[in-house]
This record gives sequence, structure tokens and C-alpha cells, in this order.
Amino acid sequence: MFRMPCQPRKGWQQLAGEFGFHFHTMYGEPYWDESAYYQFTLAQIEKDIEDPTAELHQMCLAVVDDVVNSEQLLTRFSIPEAHWGLVRDSWRNRDPSLYSRLDLVYSGTGPAKLLENNADTPTSLYESGFWQWLWLEQQVNAGVLARNADQFNSLQEKLVFRFGEIAQHYQLNQMHFSCCKDTEEDRGTVQYLQDCAREAGIKSDFVFIEDIGLADTGVFTDLADAPITDCFKLYPWEFILREEFGDVLGDAEVNWLEPAWKSIISNKALLPLLWQKFEGHPNLLPSYFADDIPHDAKHSGKWVKKPLFSREGANISLIENGKESELSPGPYGEEGFIVQAFHPLPVFDGNHTLIGSWLVDDMPAGISVREDSNAITQDLSRYLPHIIL
Amino acid sequence: MTNSNKSHNMQDNIQGDMADNKSGIATTSRKRSSGINLSRMRKSYALKPLAIGIASVFLTACGEEKQDAQIYTSLEDCKRDFPDAVERCDAAYKTATEEAMRTSPRFNSEYDCEYEFGANQCRTVNTNSGSVFMPFMAGFMVSQLLSPNRYYSQPLYTSYSPYSSYRSRWVTADGNVFSGDIRKRNYKVGSDTLKPKPTVNRTMKRGGFGSSVRAKSSWGSSSRKGSWGG
Repeated sequence: MFRMPCQPRKGWQQLAGEFGFHFHTMYGEPYWDESAYYQFTLAQIEKDIEDPTAELHQMCLAVVDDVVNSEQLLTRFSIPEAHWGLVRDSWRNRDPSLYSRLDLVYSGTGPAKLLENNADTPTSLYESGFWQWLWLEQQVNAGVLARNADQFNSLQEKLVFRFGEIAQHYQLNQMHFSCCKDTEEDRGTVQYLQDCAREAGIKSDFVFIEDIGLADTGVFTDLADAPITDCFKLYPWEFILREEFGDVLGDAEVNWLEPAWKSIISNKALLPLLWQKFEGHPNLLPSYFADDIPHDAKHSGKWVKKPLFSREGANISLIENGKESELSPGPYGEEGFIVQAFHPLPVFDGNHTLIGSWLVDDMPAGISVREDSNAITQDLSRYLPHIIL
Repeated sequence: MTNSNKSHNMQDNIQGDMADNKSGIATTSRKRSSGINLSRMRKSYALKPLAIGIASVFLTACGEEKQDAQIYTSLEDCKRDFPDAVERCDAAYKTATEEAMRTSPRFNSEYDCEYEFGANQCRTVNTNSGSVFMPFMAGFMVSQLLSPNRYYSQPLYTSYSPYSSYRSRWVTADGNVFSGDIRKRNYKVGSDTLKPKPTVNRTMKRGGFGSSVRAKSSWGSSSRKGSWGG
């Protein structure tokens, strides 16, 4: 695993405009950064990332099965009691999932470690599945990269195929897609999924989360009053279950993507449960509920404390030898916290590097590489492409 | 300009490469997608989501398997065709009128309804949420009437309004328009046409999702307020 400086493609910003990639620069800072790329060997990709990703996913599914069958665990995961049935049914019916992203710490040697699982609302999908793919094709054709350079990235192919399976499962030929207003990044991610769905023969309609309506018949509607029967939502389950329309989810009978059981995997309570069930697994970091730390760990070692639910790396603290210091403020944490053994991100040319490992349903489908100037919290990360050589 | 021309040429090459590999799934041991069609990924328009209403689609013969369907403008019409199965006609008529109640186009004002369907072609229906206006059912379409469990019946509408694209044509509750004018009574139709239509909904309330975002956004210490994904 190396970080290689590289000549950016001339005029790539204009190309981004033509392909509708509008969030390559965010908040005045570069987000897409092709001034360098990461290079992996095929063995690193297959043995250290792809295989563990598939295995970690299966371990997470095993935890879901435990949680839906235990009222005590559902409470621990802060799933509102009124929705236990919804979550449980979605799991028992095997409601199909579309995709997820595991965040891994990996330095090129040794086992990759799972930091967290973005199983409900993963973003950076377009730049992974399409934009870095295009970068590789063009840099190879321009002679900048070797002809035999490859990339771990079958995301788009697998997403299209998976949409076809989901269409078959629910017997649908149309779906709604939804995200919040005022975020170009989320809208771009959802547009990409609409593009993939279209390739699978599914007609898509878009509605913003805030515009979803409730009809006299009990169904959710879009702005044209058309019923929402099947919906991809880039909106976290932990919000949905606590909001006003959450009360009528049962009657609205929507087939959601991601399905409600993903509320368990995307929850950071997953991490202590994984450690309980698979303690010592090479791809796991020790993790506990913050109110249940074993005595010897309480006053020694280095731990990162995170809320069960959080966005944007908010409300993170570092606990060192029992002393807690806040790393980032934020509005989260009322549902409780977990701690995870501190495991530093590898540093390449002064950048802290995080691997996002994608799954489509249960199949590993590629990686994304993000760099941050900060060692623990991810704030203004940059996205760098990668190759296999 | 030179830059942009260059990038176009590069893409043309890629498209050429792609055209050679149409399988969609990698045939070699490549670990990346092989079948991305770049022309379909282009966005010539600005990203601008819109909720689009149901556009009428003119049904034409194509592809899938079709079945025969007849349109009747009265119960008697049907019984004349099926003298030995008049109770079937009764049932089909009843299904169609019930479906009309559930699925018919509806309008908030009589004017809007008559603009689309013609003068005196609309009726008032009182619902929990107030009065609405619906066109009268102008006929019903049946298929496989004699089949024990697979018969279909659905209401059809037509318009007498000079302003409407439905004028003198048969149209289904969800806006599918049949080719030919209303004198045509026999069609071959696909299974989609015969599927039950969705219930028409009146949205009572919006904004029941999104409150968490409003609450969390007001917290302003982050240098970025962006994605609600992660």
C-alpha cells in the first residue's frame, strides 16, 4: 500500500460538471483529490480487505439476529419500543438490503480493523462507484497509469444487478428515492442510485424527505400525491423512528431501502455486541458500552468514546488511562455511548488514511480511500482514488 | 477549449473499449466494473429534482403477451354478449363501479373536472376530507370474463372536453389512453393495463419527516453542515 503523487487530468472539473459531479469541492475545500492515489497489491485487496469484509458482514448479521430476538438488546440499541415489531418483521421477512460501507483501519500489513459500519445511509458512493472508475480508465488511456492497473470497484455493476433482484423480490417497476433538502452531496448520491436503478429497468421518482405527505388513505405520498410504495431513503432510521410520521409507518406499508433491520447494524451498539460475540477476532477492536466497561479497562489504555447515533464525527471523546477529553462537540449522545479501543489510522505523507469497504447486499464490491488531517474525527476528509497493481 | 476537446477524445476511446465488452459482468479477473455506459451517465442538465405528475402514455402494441379485452358502455351490452353468464356481467359491473370510487381521477373543483372531462360529466363525492369531483364512469373493460379466477374488470372514462387529450378516447383511472376513438370496443392489452389501479390519495399533511434534521442543523459549531448520510 503506497501513496503515489500523480498528475491530475487536465480539465477534470469541467468533466465533473458534464457528469453531474457537483460536490467535488465542498465548503471551499477540495473533496475529490486526484493529485495522488493509493496503490494496493491484489493480495492486500483480496486477503486483507475483501475476505474480511464479507466475514465481518456475516458477523453483523448474526448480531442482528440476536438483537431482534431480545427485548433487552432492543432497549440497549435505543430502538423505540413502538417500533420493535417493525424492525423484527423486516428481519424475519428477510427484507432485502442494498448496500453498506465498513470503515476499516488498514495500513498495508496486518489485519484491517473495523471502526464502524455505515449500513443505513452510506455516502461517497458516486465518487467510488463511478467517478474513481472513470479516473482510472482515463489515466490508463492517457498512459499515465500502467495498462494492467486495476481497481477494487465493481460497485456500479453490482448495484445495477442488485436493483434487478430487488425489483424481482417486490415485483416493482417503479420506486421513490428520497433525501433531505439543502445537501448537494446527498442529492448527488441519490441521483446516482436512481441512475443505477434505471439501468435495472426501474422507473424512479424523487421526493425530498421533508416533502413526504400522509394521505387520507394512510399511505405516504410525493408532491404529485402519488403513493410511495417502495422507497430508497438516504435518511437515518434513528431519525425516522422518532419523528411524527414514524407513528404511522406500519399503516403506510412502504418497502424501504435500506430495510428497518439496518437500524441495528448502523447503530454503534453493534460494536460492543460484535466484541461480546466474537471476542478476539482479528478484524475487531475491543469495544464496550460506556456504562459497562470492565474494571481493568476503566483506568488504563486508550479508548475512543462515541455516541450510539452520531453524524459528522460529532461528540467524540478520547479516554486515556481513565481521563476523558472531548475531541469534538455536537448535539448527539442522549441515547448513550460506547467505547472502542483506540487504533491509530495509518499516516501517509502526513495524512490519516481511512478505508471504506463497500458491500452490495452481502458481496464485497470495492473500496474508497479518504484522508483527513485529523487522527480520529473525520471532518473535512478528502477522497482519493486507488489502483491495484 | 483544447482541454475539453482532449477529454472528449479520451472518452470516445473508452466508449470504444466498452463496446467490445457487452457482457456487463467482468469476464477476466478484473476487479472493477466492466460495463459502464458513459453516455448514460452524462448529465447535460443541472441537477434539479422535480416531482413529476403522471403523464398520459399512449398504449401501443409492443413486446409482452397480450390478452383480449372488451369495453362495455352498459351492463346490458355485456349481458348481450354473455347471455349464459349474466351474473358474471353483474359482478364485473359492480367491481368496476367500486374501483371507480376508489381509483377515479378526482378534482377539488367542478370547474377543473369539467375542464378535463366536459360539461356535466362530473359528480360530487363527499369524503371525510371534504367534497371532491370525479368524472362519471363511461364504460368498463373486462377480460377473461368466463375464467373462474382470473377475470378483470376496470372502469374507463372518456372526455367531451375540447381542451382534453382524452377527448373521444378511452382512458383508464391512471391516465393510460387507448389508441383509436371511443367507437373501438375490442383491444388486446398487456397485463399492466389490467392491473388494479392505485387508490387515489389526498395528502392531508406534509412535513412529518425531517424534524431531526431541523433540530440537529441548528447546532452550528461544525465547519460543515452537509450530508445526513455518513
